[in-house]
Amino acid sequence: MITIKHLSHEFVVGKKGKQTFIPVLKDISFEVKEGEIVTIVGRSGSGKSTLLNLVSGFIHPKEGEIWINGQKVSQMNETKFADFRIKNLGFIFQSFQLIPSMTAFQNVELPLILKGVSETVRKKQTEEMLAKVGLLDYQDHYPGELSGGQQQRVSIARALIVNPPIILADEPTGSLDSETEEDLLKFIKELNTDLGITFLIITHDEKVANIGHRTIELKDGRIIEGVLA
Amino acid sequence: MKLSDQFRFVRQNMKKNRTRVYMTILATAMGCAFLIVLASVGFGLQKSVVKEMTERRIMTQIDVYGQETTESGGYRQLDDKDVQEFEEMSDVKAVTRRKMLQQEGFYLIGNYQQSTQTVVANFPSEIKAGFELSAGSLAKDKAEVVVGYNFPLNLGVKGEQTEEMFDEQGQLKEKFRYNGKLIGETIELTVSKMEDGKKIEKVFPVKVAGISKKPTKEWAEDRSVYISEELLKDIEAFTGTPKGIVLDSTDQVNLADLEASKNTFDDVKVYAKNMEAVQGIVDELKENDYATYSVVNELKEVNLMFAIAKAGLIFIGTIAILIASIGIYNTMTMAVTERAPDIGIMKAIGANPRTIKRIFLLESSYIGLIGAFIGTVVSYGISYAVNFVIPIIIKQAFGEETPPEIVFSDIPLSLPIICIVICYGVTILSGLRPAQRATKVDVLRAMRREV
Ligand SMILES: Nc1ncnc2c1ncn2[C@@H]1O[C@H](COP(=O)(O)OP(=O)(O)OP(=O)(O)O)[C@@H](O)[C@H]1O
Ligand SMILES: [Mg+2]
Repeated sequence: MITIKHLSHEFVVGKKGKQTFIPVLKDISFEVKEGEIVTIVGRSGSGKSTLLNLVSGFIHPKEGEIWINGQKVSQMNETKFADFRIKNLGFIFQSFQLIPSMTAFQNVELPLILKGVSETVRKKQTEEMLAKVGLLDYQDHYPGELSGGQQQRVSIARALIVNPPIILADEPTGSLDSETEEDLLKFIKELNTDLGITFLIITHDEKVANIGHRTIELKDGRIIEGVLA
Repeated sequence: MKLSDQFRFVRQNMKKNRTRVYMTILATAMGCAFLIVLASVGFGLQKSVVKEMTERRIMTQIDVYGQETTESGGYRQLDDKDVQEFEEMSDVKAVTRRKMLQQEGFYLIGNYQQSTQTVVANFPSEIKAGFELSAGSLAKDKAEVVVGYNFPLNLGVKGEQTEEMFDEQGQLKEKFRYNGKLIGETIELTVSKMEDGKKIEKVFPVKVAGISKKPTKEWAEDRSVYISEELLKDIEAFTGTPKGIVLDSTDQVNLADLEASKNTFDDVKVYAKNMEAVQGIVDELKENDYATYSVVNELKEVNLMFAIAKAGLIFIGTIAILIASIGIYNTMTMAVTERAPDIGIMKAIGANPRTIKRIFLLESSYIGLIGAFIGTVVSYGISYAVNFVIPIIIKQAFGEETPPEIVFSDIPLSLPIICIVICYGVTILSGLRPAQRATKVDVLRAMRREV
């Protein structure tokens, strides 16, 4: 489902003339199979977020290839990647990333609008999705009027609304208490077993790491464990 | 993303900063109204001038003054040969030619009198050109004349004419003018000449055969008396000068000039078959060194002048819209800055940069078009007010009435269209950069709230 081949990345900081290069990822190769939950762990600053941002297409790799769902995304331009993203990828972020001026309903509806789905279909699907995450009664609440856990459920609803085969998550439980975290992990498991959604989850939480079929550990930009597991 | 959804987005976004958007629309509307009102003055005055020109003249008429003579650089008067040449030109309907008696004819019938122009006209050509009689018939012998429609209306009682004899329109009041029968009556034409410093008069009795039709143009007046060629010959025999010109012995006259004018026409008009043919005939005449005047020619020049003036006015008006566009640029830039975090999130979940650009362009054109629309509506109001108020101001300041046909401001349909096109273009241009910026919003920085 996701194939990474010899991926390397470095950041360039500083003004022209006295630039410094910060190598973050060095020759990373691994694969995530369909229906798998793979977690990535590692110390802070080991390059986990950078790796996920590369897979998400938010930044472009210096070297190497990224294949998702049979397509080579590492060479796609922005427009193409945008269309690819909305069809194939769902995102769950640590800080939820909901649009504060939109209600829970509107936030969940947004990907359908971007996809060009008609209004009646949109309404039905959005309501179903909100019901699924147990927030139908909160559909007219703005993100600021929801708890952290509720906001995370809205963001999951938004990720799921377009039925993506893959969900990428960067520390999804980072802002949640342990009880809410457990609910979320249960939900992820359900989505994986019931709908066969593939997950790539970054975490430094052992509980989260444990739901994965496999765990990859990063250290100083290299994989040190779990490639073959 | 559907267009209707894009519109919904734009409206929602605009609602978030209502005051700012209203102010920008206001500035745009003012710019557009300024452009339209300014240019409408050009359109209005052009309309007035053209209307005046076309109403005063017959569109198919070409006046031919003479032919440029290469030797002297002066003009030669036209004669039968020229007229024949004109008549043979294609698309010519008629060529009228008139000789004028070179002194005022004094006409007397009973106790009523009038001094007026005496003309020898070629009636077949005049009729082809549209001359008609309202009563009687054309002259059949040399002593018969046709009088202009206004001739009887100006036959006043003998003696000094005083102001109370005329009404407000400057017409002779009925009780002071000749009311008897005219057709078939004899009137006396008195012609004079100078001999040894003494004025000698001779009376030629003529019989009125017909009266011409009322001139079609409201303002026109025809009080000429149309006499026969033979009668003119008699008058010339009496005065001993061509066309009865009165010569004082003290006058310095070139005898050759005098001789040359003997068989020439004083007024030659060529009538084209239709308006489209005028230009061709004028061109051909010009090629042969004839001096001409036609409304069509003058219209062309006047229209060209006004086209330049209007372009200038529209250009100045465009500057106003350009200034307004700075406001649009500002508003859109601020909108993009404010919404950068939202844009970042939308991009992260898969919004196409092109869609984002389109939404912002839509927003700026929305502002521009609403502004242009309001500006257009307002400018119609201003234009109406200008036409209403300026004559009043002129009357107050200079005490003069403005002729009712003068239009100070006129907005033809093309003007709002020009304005909307200019405004739309300027809006798109000023919205382009902010929209471009919106597509460049960095997803990661936006999500870290760093924008
Ligand atoms: N935009 C950037 N410019 C320059 N350096 C960057 C940038 N983003 C990340 N880095 C650097 O890359 C390295 C890896 O960062 P990354 O965010 O991937 O770590 P992480 O494993 O996600 O850490 P954490 O667990 O704390 O989230 C860090 O040393 C960081 O300083
Ligand atoms: Mg991280």
